[in-house]
Amino acid sequence: MRSLKCMSSKSAPILAETSHPRLLWRLPLAAACVVTLAAAAHAAESPDAALAALLNEARAAATPDACAHGAAEDRLVLAFCAGHLRIGVRVEYPLFASRAGARREGYEIDVANALAQKLGVEADFVNVKAANRIAMLGDDSVDLVIATMGDNTQRETQVRFVRPHYYQSQTVLVGPPEAVVTGWPDVRDRTVCATVGNASNAELVTNGVRLMLFDDASLLPERLADQTCAFAAQDDSFFAYSFTLPDFAASFSEKFGFSELPWGMGVAREGSDKLARALDLTSQLFHRDGVFLAAARANRIHTAFLERQQAVWSRPGCDRDGGASDPACVLPGANAELQATPFAGQVAAFEHWFDGWSGFELSLPMLKTAAAWSLFLNGAANSLILIAGALMSTLVFALGFGFATGARSPLLRWPARGVTVALQSSPILLTLVITAALMHALVPSSPAMALGAAIVALGLANGSNAGQAIAEAYVTLRAEQGRAAGDPKGLFARALHRSSTQIVAFLINAAKGTPIASFIGAPELLSALTDITSFSSGRATTYTLLLVFYTAVVAIVVWLCRRFQVLFARSSVAA
Amino acid sequence: MNLVIDPLPPHFMATLLAGISVNFAIAGMALTLGLGLGSLLALARVQGPLGRGAAAMLIGLMRAAPTFVVMFFLLNALPRGTLSGVMVVAISLVPYAAAYVADSAVDAIRQYRAGSTLACFLILPNIARAFFVLVMSSSAGAAVGVAEGIAVILRQAEKLPTLGGKLVLFAIGIACFGIPLQAGFALIRLIQRRLGRLAARNRDTASGGEGRPVDGVVPPLSGAANRG
Repeated sequence: MRSLKCMSSKSAPILAETSHPRLLWRLPLAAACVVTLAAAAHAAESPDAALAALLNEARAAATPDACAHGAAEDRLVLAFCAGHLRIGVRVEYPLFASRAGARREGYEIDVANALAQKLGVEADFVNVKAANRIAMLGDDSVDLVIATMGDNTQRETQVRFVRPHYYQSQTVLVGPPEAVVTGWPDVRDRTVCATVGNASNAELVTNGVRLMLFDDASLLPERLADQTCAFAAQDDSFFAYSFTLPDFAASFSEKFGFSELPWGMGVAREGSDKLARALDLTSQLFHRDGVFLAAARANRIHTAFLERQQAVWSRPGCDRDGGASDPACVLPGANAELQATPFAGQVAAFEHWFDGWSGFELSLPMLKTAAAWSLFLNGAANSLILIAGALMSTLVFALGFGFATGARSPLLRWPARGVTVALQSSPILLTLVITAALMHALVPSSPAMALGAAIVALGLANGSNAGQAIAEAYVTLRAEQGRAAGDPKGLFARALHRSSTQIVAFLINAAKGTPIASFIGAPELLSALTDITSFSSGRATTYTLLLVFYTAVVAIVVWLCRRFQVLFARSSVAA
Repeated sequence: MNLVIDPLPPHFMATLLAGISVNFAIAGMALTLGLGLGSLLALARVQGPLGRGAAAMLIGLMRAAPTFVVMFFLLNALPRGTLSGVMVVAISLVPYAAAYVADSAVDAIRQYRAGSTLACFLILPNIARAFFVLVMSSSAGAAVGVAEGIAVILRQAEKLPTLGGKLVLFAIGIACFGIPLQAGFALIRLIQRRLGRLAARNRDTASGGEGRPVDGVVPPLSGAANRG
């Protein structure tokens, strides 16, 4: 039998002579040679071959002697020694990883089992939570974490993420089906329920959404159902289970998605090189062969990302050893880093010093990132504007109501009294909302409009009462002086003096009431700090500072009002 | 009229009344705690100079602390799950309630020491007034997801398409809060008048204390002195 000797580039002259009858039989042979060579080359650098070689090498290293004497250094070899891989999974994340007694189920459980099977070891499941999953990798409690963990640049410094990613979530806005919401403009200035610490909160805030924050995502479906929340924003993976429930699916729908986040399996950064590489290769194969996709379909979760990934990892350019490190094939982690302020280093040093000095953990997130610092500065400035505006409007409305309520003409007096009673009967929050609704009918909604509405509402609520006090003083003065009452202007000035204690009390009350403006989206300090803490840590410190700020500002307002009262009294006596 | 009634679900009024009952419950809790703390502060203020100074400073701080900020502080500074939403709102009202009670109690003690027993009893209508002010203030709970009366109204308003419909709904809300409030204040005025007459008859000088309003919410009886 003639040996099939394939030639390389030197065979070109032969192929050029294909018209020669003697050479015709060589043509299919050459083609077969080329195909075989290509296939052999591909096979040599295929992820399948690379994985097989890696696993053989690790198995070979897992000798009884190495295992017994702790010579094995990589977790893959240790897994072969032990015969099992310790995999951290969640227990209360329906459709992804849940546990009922000894039975575990969900997409991540299926993926974990498939991985263990591919590696030829048993899956030893360990319960982890979002809060401890990274720490458990660090202290060697688990070899691998498959626990709804988003891959971002911040976590990449703590965890070695397996690439390609095994899933991708996005934050979805969920609301009633009748609400027409297709994008950011439709939810600007509306309240959306979200969870503290969710990275997508920054995007909500920058798009003008007001946040009502909850500690635990599990509360969101309940709060939607009892209508505490008109809308809620959370990972689509979280809402996936809720949408399997007929009642929820009938009452709510996904409006739009944003802030896509690839999920990565994580291994420890130290001592897991071989394990990480084996998992990289296995993930490639699972995408290409549709293992991830089949598991997702079996668990009724979104499959669009996995379908796209299957197409990517089936391409020859990606379906090769090293594809997992090719930026053309693999997705990067989400960029979770916010631009730091120029003085972030000094702030961090001060926090560290304070911690050591006092024992209290101080966190000043508003000073560390440019976005938070900008929000903080604007919030503080707007708070001062709001307080000044509320004081002015209270004074103006007080004079107006005082004049009208104390007027002799019933046409002026009775409407003023009616409005006063209505304002007294309306909780301030309702007055605020009504004022904002009326102003919104006149001018487009904006932060400035919200500030204006708050100033008017606080002025109305407090000014009407202060005005009533002025009117009562005016009426009593008029009654006391009877016909001797002379110039109405002078009488009104004396009424102001007599009711100055009341006026001051309501001015102080107006200043104290300003933080409530955050409820209608006025960008004052409470609102700004709520936004800041929604995507950063340090809530306790932040709200303590907020309390100190407002208490100090109100104390200053009290002092100023008292000074004003004294000066006013002196000028009245002098007059 | 159809425009108004049709969009409101049949159980709306029942839900609203249930929500308002939450406002009353919050006010009750805040006042109870405020009575305890305020009484202690009042006693401290009428004791020696050391206690007086410390109590005065504490009352000043509590008076200056905005309720809404205190509420968010409690919600975020305390460990998760320590307090329910209702309790957070109630406790956020305690600084106001305690400062108010302390002021009223100091007045009452001074009146009693001056021999005016009836004027001393003016603390009762003052505390009743504080209760209604607290009811109105508890609407701040809507901002943190507490299902009180204003939250019920605002939820319903979200569903109404027109401004007119919303304004009518808000008017219903004002009436539901306003009727018990105004009735309560009328009762307080009546009691005060009776006490005043009794005091005059006994030649005691009775001057009714008037508390400061809690942030944004104001008591309608503004004739008496409002000590800051």
